[in-house]
Amino acid sequence: MKKQDANLVIETTSGIELKAYYTPDDVPPAHRSRARQAPGEAPYHRGFHPTGYRSKPWRIFQLSGFGKPEDENERIKFLLKNGETGFIMEHDRNTADHCYNVDHPEVLARREDVGLTGAVMQSVRDMAICLDGLPVDTSFGHAGGAVVQHAPFALAGYWTVARKRGYDLSRIAGTGQSDFNLTYLGCVTKQQIPTDAGLRFNADIIEFCAEHLPRWVPVSIAGYNAADTGLTPDQELGALFANAVEYLDEIKRRQNMPLEFAAKGCGGVSFRASIHLFEEAAKMRAARLMWSDLLQSRYGLTDPKTANLRIHCVTAGSRMTYQQPLNNIVRGTVMAMAAVLGGVQSLGVSGYDEALSIPSEHAHQMSVRIQQILQEETNLCAVTDPLGGSYYVETLTATLVEKAWAFFEQIQQQGGYLASLDSGWLHAQASENQYKEFMAMESGQQNVVGVTCATEDETPFHVDGFMGTDDAFDVALERLKDIRRSRHEAGANAALKNLEAVCRSDRNIMPAMLDALESDVTLGEIGDVYREVFGDWNTPIQT
Amino acid sequence: MAKTGLDGHWRGPTIVARALRDAGFEVIMIGMANTDDIVRAAVDEDVDLVGLNVGGHIDVAIRAVNSVQEARPEVPIFAGGTVPPRSVKMLQDLGVEVYPPGSQLADIVDAAQRLTATR
Repeated sequence: MKKQDANLVIETTSGIELKAYYTPDDVPPAHRSRARQAPGEAPYHRGFHPTGYRSKPWRIFQLSGFGKPEDENERIKFLLKNGETGFIMEHDRNTADHCYNVDHPEVLARREDVGLTGAVMQSVRDMAICLDGLPVDTSFGHAGGAVVQHAPFALAGYWTVARKRGYDLSRIAGTGQSDFNLTYLGCVTKQQIPTDAGLRFNADIIEFCAEHLPRWVPVSIAGYNAADTGLTPDQELGALFANAVEYLDEIKRRQNMPLEFAAKGCGGVSFRASIHLFEEAAKMRAARLMWSDLLQSRYGLTDPKTANLRIHCVTAGSRMTYQQPLNNIVRGTVMAMAAVLGGVQSLGVSGYDEALSIPSEHAHQMSVRIQQILQEETNLCAVTDPLGGSYYVETLTATLVEKAWAFFEQIQQQGGYLASLDSGWLHAQASENQYKEFMAMESGQQNVVGVTCATEDETPFHVDGFMGTDDAFDVALERLKDIRRSRHEAGANAALKNLEAVCRSDRNIMPAMLDALESDVTLGEIGDVYREVFGDWNTPIQT
Repeated sequence: MAKTGLDGHWRGPTIVARALRDAGFEVIMIGMANTDDIVRAAVDEDVDLVGLNVGGHIDVAIRAVNSVQEARPEVPIFAGGTVPPRSVKMLQDLGVEVYPPGSQLADIVDAAQRLTATR
């Protein structure tokens, strides 16, 4: 690193100007008394439990999946064997995100892509293969369904498999996702239901879980997806809470359940942990403060249990470089530390081959090992909120809160979070930031090791990306034919008709979805119902 | 410019499109497109250069490349996206210039100018 001019203006990703050192006078006056509070005290920026990771280490929770359901099953078992403490199912993008079967023309046109980034699961039979031998009764499982329109299918599939194995749904613990940021902001699908239909699905899931699956996190807003699309940390926070109030306002309007249950349901979220370590750690602290503040000021909810924001964190995939990929092990470690110093409950570390492919077994294992080293060797788990009281970090926390609320207000002025997706306003913010970030790299203002400097690569370790399997499409097509041949056709048709009727009504979609999965209705048939009933979202950006 | 896969990550292609527009190019973006869509646009729009964002299996991209080269053999093709090194080689063997993650925008714009200079 070259020497810097002492007067050079250095800013965080959120545009907070950094001083060369901090003193007590830098902490904003309104935040000074908070900095003296203990973990477990409102407004909880220091965490909800005084003993933190001593009493509950964070969950090692890696995204995993590709190929056939049995390939994904094998990879999940590999991760569990290596020390993962929950598991995440990943569904094939082509089919799942679009609710297509593999014989849809858009999928046929790209058959080699099928199974590349997740297993193909078109029916409950596929889900059962993927979950074979996995501890759905004792482990914390993520059913997939990160995409809003896909979530009811994925959840119903997971729960149906659990029920068929004789487990009581009320005792099953796990999470869904149903995240708008993922496909309405970040990776926009070719076709998906409009946002108002998506909001209805998510409210249905929240209500259904409150009644039947109290240990399940019904929806999980992913700030990650907004941040990795370009929103800065303050914007990531503001957008996440603007999204949360859409859910809570809708639940309040529907009057089907107590609002505090809904608040608990919405309180399992995810954030991105990127490379600016202190700002990212401060972001997790700011998030807890904002959530308890929001629940109290907007909804009058003050119960500490309701205010308990549980954070899953994923390290920034977009920071992982294509060049000199082993350097990404260090980046993953630093970003993981940011999350841990911020006191998150759950963590996934991107594979070192992230910029090349989905993780190889070795890259996946390293993501687990990084977390185990942090948990076992560093004493990071000994002290709760170790950054608390730092003039610098407390200042960052308070400043982020202030900036995030300002962005939240800007979104409200756009008509709310969903309106800002519909209009493309949020995409424009992300797009501007992406360009700035890129230009900072291009101009040499922000160096990236192995990419813009230190580019001589003499590493003997050649990383060429993970190849996956090549039979996912063929097997999925065969299984699709098989299910059409062997299922009770009248039963499947009746369940599908009923699902369509429910979609057209204002009844909760989940009972009909469970019935459809139980009756071997396939994903593409359900997608056809959506397309018929809800139509297509009018994508506001040209990709 | 087109995306060969059904994977909607739009960061890369939109940044490249913006840089190309800033450099004076007219950019037609058709988003997630299958081979037929890509060939149709290359012919109908009478383009001077085809840009492919590859986010999936290399065979899908190769099919698009082959079809464009068949329909408009004189049109150069360049590509970017999550393309692992071995796939970069496969595309280069077909005469496609490849700009993997970490490429400089200036180099991409230079390539577009060079590839279209004689047209």
